[in-house]
Amino acid sequence: MVVLENVEKTYHTRGSIVKALRDISLHIEKGRFIVLCGPSGSGKTTLLMIIAAMLRPTKGRVCVNQNDLYKMSIADRARFRAQNIGFIFQMFHLIPYLNVIENVTLAGGVAGRSRNTAQARDLLRQLGLEGRVFHKPAQLSAGEKQRVAIARAMFNRPKIILADEPTGNLDPENAASVIEHLSEFHRGGGTVILATHQLQAEKFADRVVYLRDGGIERHD
Amino acid sequence: MITLGLILKEIRHRKVNFLLSLLAVVTAAALLISFSAASKASERETARLMLSMGFNVHIVSKNINTNDFLLTGLADRTMPEEYIKKLASQQAISYNHLLASLQKKISWRGLEVILTGLASEVCSPDSKKSPISYQIEPGNLYVGYRIAQTLGLKDGDTVEIEGKTLKVAKCLAESGSADDIRIQCNLRDAQDILKLHGQISEILAVDCLCFAPTDNPADVLRKEIGSLLPQAQVFHTQTIASARAKTRQMVRNFFAVIMPLVVIACGVSVGVLAITNVRDRQQEIGIMRALGYGSGQITSLFLGKAVVIGLLGAAVGFLVGTALAMKFGPDIFKITAKAMIKPELSLLAMSLIFTPLFVAVSSFIPAMIAVTYDPAVTLREE
Repeated sequence: MVVLENVEKTYHTRGSIVKALRDISLHIEKGRFIVLCGPSGSGKTTLLMIIAAMLRPTKGRVCVNQNDLYKMSIADRARFRAQNIGFIFQMFHLIPYLNVIENVTLAGGVAGRSRNTAQARDLLRQLGLEGRVFHKPAQLSAGEKQRVAIARAMFNRPKIILADEPTGNLDPENAASVIEHLSEFHRGGGTVILATHQLQAEKFADRVVYLRDGGIERHD
Repeated sequence: MITLGLILKEIRHRKVNFLLSLLAVVTAAALLISFSAASKASERETARLMLSMGFNVHIVSKNINTNDFLLTGLADRTMPEEYIKKLASQQAISYNHLLASLQKKISWRGLEVILTGLASEVCSPDSKKSPISYQIEPGNLYVGYRIAQTLGLKDGDTVEIEGKTLKVAKCLAESGSADDIRIQCNLRDAQDILKLHGQISEILAVDCLCFAPTDNPADVLRKEIGSLLPQAQVFHTQTIASARAKTRQMVRNFFAVIMPLVVIACGVSVGVLAITNVRDRQQEIGIMRALGYGSGQITSLFLGKAVVIGLLGAAVGFLVGTALAMKFGPDIFKITAKAMIKPELSLLAMSLIFTPLFVAVSSFIPAMIAVTYDPAVTLREE
């Protein structure tokens, strides 16, 4: 379960103060598919980073599976993230000098599973990438890159997948495929929190949270 | 995936950055190795050239007329020839190149000349030095420029001095000093001519340049020699000693300035290239952070790369530096280069230890910058 209580995030940039998140309280049950929806600058990515234990909130408490994330040490937070959270980005963020299977197993480096290539190959097969195992990211299409990113996010068998605009750079066919893979993870009991400014994932979602100007506008 | 594997793959991916970093390290290592090899030859060469300025320690009998000696350079009293053996038998001493001489002003063929008898130069047992003075074979005579000119002497002539026949082995070139009115022969011949068997008037020597900055060389020499030869006294020619010391110090200072400059230039180059590398890899660092990699693992990627560059740069730099020193050294240091400039494994070992360490230190700040990148910021950038 993910619990956010009165979370606020303020950025101080060159004399100005930007309130990225305002008093966010959210309870997300285990195994849910949540869509965070809102226009650019509404605070979706900031909220995902905070849930991913990568960005300390200015105020408030964040608990994931009963662990108060920002009371942990930096090293413990990194370990927790490696074992519990998978992250998918709009820009894929694959390491350019590693091939597909190396990018996937890179995620296991911290969890001590980096050599489990059989599992990585299995994941890539499920994602239709069995013929691309030794290709470099530059040799892949956008849809293939995002599927590699999904395989990387799933490699450590996380309990939660956070996806930040994962379909933003994809054509409708590949976008649908990505949403389908996330949905499959959800059906397998995983929690998905997906940030998007489009509403194509809404039909898979248990709940849609609308954000505007850093605050929750409404829940559906 | 192990860190070394990641480092090597990244090096293959960003070849230009790696090659530029390697070039900076190889250049610095090669220059330091070649300077280091050349500096030994340079010091030795300078020392050898400075020796040609002559002896700067004069050991004479305590009973001489000091004023006359300082005025004419000639000791009017003699001392036993054994004194030189006593001095030469000492170890860990502050003088070397001992040369016994017997000198006296005589009238010869209507000219006032200085007859000088020279023994073979001797060194202390713990110091094997090449002689800096020439050795005159018994029966031979070296004639000063003015005497040869005045008397019309030439090489190969036979002359007689006080009933002793000697062959003119060499007529010396003009020196503009007392040597122009000097006739030089072997010590034994001079002792025969002057009927002073077993006697010498002076022992010449060169100080060792091993004094501490706080030492007064003359005092040190007087203490050492005075305890061995209580009947002798020591004069230390300050101008020659000072010129030698200053010249050698100047050579040392030159290398002491050049070497740190090379090291700093290399450090800055490597540091700048490492910062460029870190900036290029912001998103890669961000994704590794997002995957749970800690600061230590991120730092090890950059410092590990620095060590790889350092080790490779040290090995290549050693080969290049040694080759440069061996190729150009003999043209610069004509006397000592062949003996002094050669591949030194100790330099390779030092290079392999200190270069990676140095490159890692130069890359430390960039590595720390990498660690401080906020993945929440870098992963948002397109």
